[in-house]
Amino acid sequence: MRVEYINPFVESAYGVIQEVLGAEVERGELYLKSTSMPVLGVAAIVGLAGDVEGRVLFDMSKETAIQVASQMLRSMGMEPIDELNDMGRATITELANMITGQAVTKLHDLGFKFDLSPPAIFTGDNMEVSDPGVEALIVPMQIPQGKVEINVAIRERT
Amino acid sequence: MAEKTSTTEMLRSTGTLAAEQRSPEGEDGGEAQRADIVDFKMVTFSLGGKDYGIDIMKVKEIAKIKSYTYVPNTPHFVRGVYNLRGDIISVLDLRRMFNLPVEEKEEGQPEDGLILRLEENLPFGVIVDRIDRVVGISRERIQPPHPIFADINLKYISGVVEHENRLYIILDVDRILAKEEEAPEASRGTEISALAGGSGTEEPGEARPAATGAAQPSARASETEDPEALTFEFVSETLATFAGFYVSDVNKAWMERRFGEWVRERQESGQDTQLSSAEDAAQYLRDFYSPHTGAFWPEAYGEEFRKLLPSDEPRGYTVWNPGCAKGFETYSLACILRSQFPEARLKIWAHDNDLLSVSTAPNLVVPLQGVPELHRKHMVAGKNGYAFSQEIQDLILFEYHDITSTNAIPEVDLIVARDVLSFLPVQQQQALLSEFSERLKEGGILVIGKNEELPGDEWKAVELKDIRAYRLKDAGG
Repeated sequence: MRVEYINPFVESAYGVIQEVLGAEVERGELYLKSTSMPVLGVAAIVGLAGDVEGRVLFDMSKETAIQVASQMLRSMGMEPIDELNDMGRATITELANMITGQAVTKLHDLGFKFDLSPPAIFTGDNMEVSDPGVEALIVPMQIPQGKVEINVAIRERT
Repeated sequence: MAEKTSTTEMLRSTGTLAAEQRSPEGEDGGEAQRADIVDFKMVTFSLGGKDYGIDIMKVKEIAKIKSYTYVPNTPHFVRGVYNLRGDIISVLDLRRMFNLPVEEKEEGQPEDGLILRLEENLPFGVIVDRIDRVVGISRERIQPPHPIFADINLKYISGVVEHENRLYIILDVDRILAKEEEAPEASRGTEISALAGGSGTEEPGEARPAATGAAQPSARASETEDPEALTFEFVSETLATFAGFYVSDVNKAWMERRFGEWVRERQESGQDTQLSSAEDAAQYLRDFYSPHTGAFWPEAYGEEFRKLLPSDEPRGYTVWNPGCAKGFETYSLACILRSQFPEARLKIWAHDNDLLSVSTAPNLVVPLQGVPELHRKHMVAGKNGYAFSQEIQDLILFEYHDITSTNAIPEVDLIVARDVLSFLPVQQQQALLSEFSERLKEGGILVIGKNEELPGDEWKAVELKDIRAYRLKDAGG
């Protein structure tokens, strides 16, 4: 993981989450992981292509996802949700989009160019993600609604 | 005597337990449901307030151990011997072994214990704070140990697993007891040589318990009662704990020489020969490091280094520099390569798993004072000092990366890994070495620490002053 990439992702993740949820975000220790990883239950994935290749995954439990989406909806004066419906999924997708978008903008300012794929959202139990040949940087965050993990696996084109 | 509970009984009862755990209830539903296939069962227990587990296949039985016989002149963690239905077995106290607080039990009260059954060895008793229960989990969920479990030496941990919001540390009993157990006569001496053997076949990064004794310098202690050998073993162990330095064939020659010096040094000044702190370990390793570690390389060292480079300018030249830390050496390397090969396409992959160090590397700013001449022409003045020119920056790719994970780099001409191998557990040293030989092009060069050396005949030493380098032998020759 190229060191220049790390900060933009970490900064925009904290920034965006703090802003949209209006809550304190507790930072966890960053670490690297290369084996396959369990997914907590709801995962939004954004692909990256260009100078680098890889993907960013936003991972949280279903419960957390519902609460996060509700909080975001409330802040826009909309009805909160009590199950992960279309509105809830769209909201989580948007959160992922905002974070990745902001990170990529920061990286663009540093001279790295890449494109984003539209976010996709996965829900389900017993899911795992593995990226053969890429090490993932895990950015753990604790928010009042639960645990959110941002899992960045990108690499230089060789 | 023991009131024993047979493990088969425990196993049977956990069949239902595991089934219950799988039912998707509780607010953390997603977490619990992931216990999909139960293919690993462990007996769990607590030691000093933390939860631990041992693979059930290693457990012969669970016992309440009482009335064992004290044996004089044994290490402090040996509680004595115990009569297990006619067999005399030794009993260890895991809490004392790991220097954890021991709950005082009243005289004559039975203590919770496990009788472990290991290959080759006689059964063993270990005493713990409290046996909890048997937990069934899926092997896939076991994760490699993390350095935060520092109260028990990391090498004794084969993994950690979270189960029902409790974190269990899975102990690698083969390793723990291999160290204590007197090696059987027949296997003496074969253990160290197993270390040297050619390429490791296992996947890097895979958390796998080591085969008994294969990777540890532990055979030493059992070879003899000689106190010097015991001290040597103790020093080796504490180096791993305090400095993350692992004694193996790579650094054995240095280690033996240094040990003699160290004992003399300490005895002359009337100090204890054993290492009791990180400072002691640093003091011990003082002259291990290669020249100019963590600094720019002066001209003379650079000149010597150039002798490793091909005399004709290649079209492209790729370098892998694991353990780059703050990047000083990497920049030196870049400057040397650029002046040697002005036209070639150069690329240096610089890796370190210390996030703080490697983060500062791309933006390294230094005062010009003390910077060797060769570097100066590649430096530009900035607000706070001198930084390297874009041209040099572009040659280097600094990455936050753990070399024991998959290394996604192309074939390289040169690997500069000074003092990297010695700071990896022995198993990983082997894995990384075979990775090095895979990544190098034919006839490629590997530079390791000044006080390190490579075993095996896959590598041909290059004679240089202050630089320890090896050339990978051509596949044909």
